[in-house]
Amino acid sequence: MNTRETVRAKMAEVLGSAPERVSDDAVLTDLVNSSFLLVEMVIELQEEFDVRFQQSDIVDVVNVGQLLDLAESRIEARAKA
Amino acid sequence: MKIDENLHWILSFYRTSEISGALFFGELARSLRPSAIQQDMTRHFADEANHARYWTDCLEKLGVEPLKLPVAYQNQYLAAAGMPTNLMEILAITQVFEKRVVSQYSLHRESPDVPDIVTETIDTIMEDEKWHIQWIRDALTEMEDEYGADNIKDTLRRFTLADREVYQKTAQEHKERLGELRLATK
Repeated sequence: MNTRETVRAKMAEVLGSAPERVSDDAVLTDLVNSSFLLVEMVIELQEEFDVRFQQSDIVDVVNVGQLLDLAESRIEARAKA
Repeated sequence: MKIDENLHWILSFYRTSEISGALFFGELARSLRPSAIQQDMTRHFADEANHARYWTDCLEKLGVEPLKLPVAYQNQYLAAAGMPTNLMEILAITQVFEKRVVSQYSLHRESPDVPDIVTETIDTIMEDEKWHIQWIRDALTEMEDEYGADNIKDTLRRFTLADREVYQKTAQEHKERLGELRLATK
């Protein structure tokens, strides 16, 4: 499984969703019942993959694909560092 | 004992808020890697769960059942302040919220005609709340190297402004229920 799909699988696990529901164009707020679950998922991704996001990184993130792009770029940057 | 319906609502509101805090910190404690923060977060989540129990017991002693309230106060924070996106931001928003809790409970304790059981419950909870503020302050200080002291200060300032906005909105929305506690909006 590549990095992107590993992150997607983690997102699906935290959200309690089937992986196919966590498609690139799925709107994040449509996948959760509570904003707190979204916060938990974002924190869980950072803990799991040892990366850091700032609010400015997230402010324009609307769908799963955008969050995967962000996570993937941070994970790759960390691997190169 | 038959209690005033506004007091019934307020104590149920406290209970709902403590439950939301416990569930949120419980999930975070589960997510975090082993560390001092994980340990403190776990104790924090257990405290919040106990506080919900204290309010549930208090309501029972006052002869009423908890009201089921739909939305916890904390949910409104995210709309006002934007979503916290890392552990530092989570701790910063929690620090601001805990200070609000202490202020609200202090104000309630000093308001007229508070039943003894409510005063006792607030006193018990306040001991924990002091520790919550302390551990988060210490953790934020330790995070200065990673996140930057100025960034942490700016984040606290942003969430403090959001807190004032949410509190005033809530106080306005429930002004009749809150009665003397409206003073907290000043």
